[in-house]
Amino acid sequence: MQKRKLVSILLAMVLVLAACGGNSKEGTNGNTQADGSQEKKTVTVFQFKTEIVEGLHELARAFEAEHPNIKIDVQTVGGSGDYEAGLKTKFASGEGPDIFSNGGYSKLLLWQERIEDLSDQPWVKDISPAAADPVTLDGKVYGLPLSMEGFGYIYNKDIFAEVGIDPLPKTYSELESAAKKISDAGITPFANAYYEWWLVGSQGVSVAFNNQPDTNAFIDGLNDGTATIAGNEHFLNWAKLMQLTLDYGNKNPLTTDHNTAVTMFANGEAAMMQQGNWTQNMIDSINPDMNMGILPMPISDDAAVTSKVTVGVPVNLVVNKDSKVKEEAKMFLNWLVTSDMGKEYITKNFKFIPTLSTIEASPEDMGSLASELVDYVNRGEAFPNISGKYPDGVTQEFGSVIQEFLAGRVDAQQWTENMQAAWDKLK
Amino acid sequence: MKKRKMEWGLQAFFVGPVFLFFVLILIVPFLLGMYYSLTDWNGIAKTVNWVGLSNFKTLFTDDTGFWQSFIFTTKFTVVGVVLVNIVGFVFAYLLTNALKLRNIMRTVFFMPNVIGGLLLGFIWQFIFIKGFDTIYKLTDWSFFGLAWLGDPTTGFWGIVIVFIWHQAGYLMVIYISSLTNVPKEIVEAAEIDGANRWQMLRSITIPLVMPAVTICLFLAISWSFKIFDINLSLTAGGPYKSTESVAMNIYNEAFQNNRYGLGTAKALLFFVTVAIITLIQVRVTKSKEVEA
Repeated sequence: MQKRKLVSILLAMVLVLAACGGNSKEGTNGNTQADGSQEKKTVTVFQFKTEIVEGLHELARAFEAEHPNIKIDVQTVGGSGDYEAGLKTKFASGEGPDIFSNGGYSKLLLWQERIEDLSDQPWVKDISPAAADPVTLDGKVYGLPLSMEGFGYIYNKDIFAEVGIDPLPKTYSELESAAKKISDAGITPFANAYYEWWLVGSQGVSVAFNNQPDTNAFIDGLNDGTATIAGNEHFLNWAKLMQLTLDYGNKNPLTTDHNTAVTMFANGEAAMMQQGNWTQNMIDSINPDMNMGILPMPISDDAAVTSKVTVGVPVNLVVNKDSKVKEEAKMFLNWLVTSDMGKEYITKNFKFIPTLSTIEASPEDMGSLASELVDYVNRGEAFPNISGKYPDGVTQEFGSVIQEFLAGRVDAQQWTENMQAAWDKLK
Repeated sequence: MKKRKMEWGLQAFFVGPVFLFFVLILIVPFLLGMYYSLTDWNGIAKTVNWVGLSNFKTLFTDDTGFWQSFIFTTKFTVVGVVLVNIVGFVFAYLLTNALKLRNIMRTVFFMPNVIGGLLLGFIWQFIFIKGFDTIYKLTDWSFFGLAWLGDPTTGFWGIVIVFIWHQAGYLMVIYISSLTNVPKEIVEAAEIDGANRWQMLRSITIPLVMPAVTICLFLAISWSFKIFDINLSLTAGGPYKSTESVAMNIYNEAFQNNRYGLGTAKALLFFVTVAIITLIQVRVTKSKEVEA
């Protein structure tokens, strides 16, 4: 008897609650229809570039001023691993952001069913081909590439002039003799931040892939088992280049982190380091008078093949397919790359290398490293950064396998076999 | 009849909310995890495919990385649990004596526990990499000139050191409360019988603080088995995955390699292992407890 009473009370409560829920829902629906024009819509942007957060916020405020009905909410989680985990959590909890970053290539494939096709957007025709490649799938463009970045060996021009390195090294042998000269002058040739797995596992080793006669065919071959890294000539050559940087590098490279290496370079303690134009601001803040440029990472003596820097697109903004404010999100993206303010921020504030032909940047805006990279691209001496084509998680595996080689635990041949095993494990 | 109903109401009132959140935050995700461990979900896709036990098969036959991290974590747990308890107990033992700076010292030793593990890890990373290098340049002691965090051995001991630094203070507080509860009359009687300090420590103090040892061992084992934050901020598993803990291996599998199913399978196996080990430990140390 008692139990039944309890159950009936509970049921009654549930019913009342349900009724309330239904009512309130209808209420809001009615409201939106009545005065939908005044409804403020919020577009959330989820991204990981910590260095552009402030600028993005300022851009968002300016956009809101022009579009009073739209609110832009920029959320940032730094570091690519944490960013990805955060993004997944957001989608899993049903709060997928309206605009988010995507790395392109395999990441695009991974997220494809969540991403809106943007091919009809006005800026699509202006994307430079190299930047469009990572976000293009079956002829459709899925993202807005925001910037280009590139890396190679950043070098100190003053030190190079002082020890008399002229012309600049374009091949492995020339780099070796340059390192010798610098070392003889009592300066450390290379600052190696091999504590950072991404420096070697993601960026560095992509050079070995790009030196293959046909990089894409090689990667396809790895995936279907017809090609192998084990014993591959270009990987063994790359290992030789790494050995060179170790022989002519700082002490304890495996405990040297990114900041330490950049500081060494900026203070003139080292003449070269494997880095990209994203270090420009940091070097400028330590040593504003630094006179520097960027060199390729040559792994052989065939300059035509190997003497190239690597450029890629780190951030592509994409739109959530299931977003309720898709149109507003697209408006914001369009505004970012077409408004005067957006254009100015991309070049002057973020110091990005623009990816759209409609945005022009002067060397003063971008800094010396970026403008040298642009020169390389214009001369056709640039590899695309294909690290986005590795299977998920391979960059980290590569990083640890390469560190094992750098620590001298395995020889080059064994190292290539471990690289192949890492690929096979995750392909 | 009426009284029983009241009791039920009270129980529901006090335990109900906690129970509800416990179910929502722990039980439901746990069951979901069990489900995902039988699928090939990548963490993103809208469709989830049932794959049966194949994740567990991969785990046992084709994943040396996981077992390496298991060995690392076990080694770390053995060393970490013993040392952190010894250090915590020694601190507590010294600080229950009438020292002038007693309260300040207690606060200082407890302080690292208040700072989050992630932050501590980054601070210590700086100390190991920059601080030790500077000391080496000043003193030329080879201990500081080692490649700290740069090879498997120093990486391992680096994490052990920071773990002790982080957690010893907490265990110290538990030991202090237990030590001050050791009855005075027994200590006095022993003194009159002519027992020296060592004898007193071994035959009176330690048996009487066994309940605290049970708690502290339990805490230390579960902390060190599940270590993640210090590990992540200090070495991030490097160099070459030699210091990757199981928790980190699981995280990487699920979120980096995008193999959520395999990750949850590992997590499930890990849960069972930790549960068994801590249960055995509590049984064993409980049997050693005595009453004054």
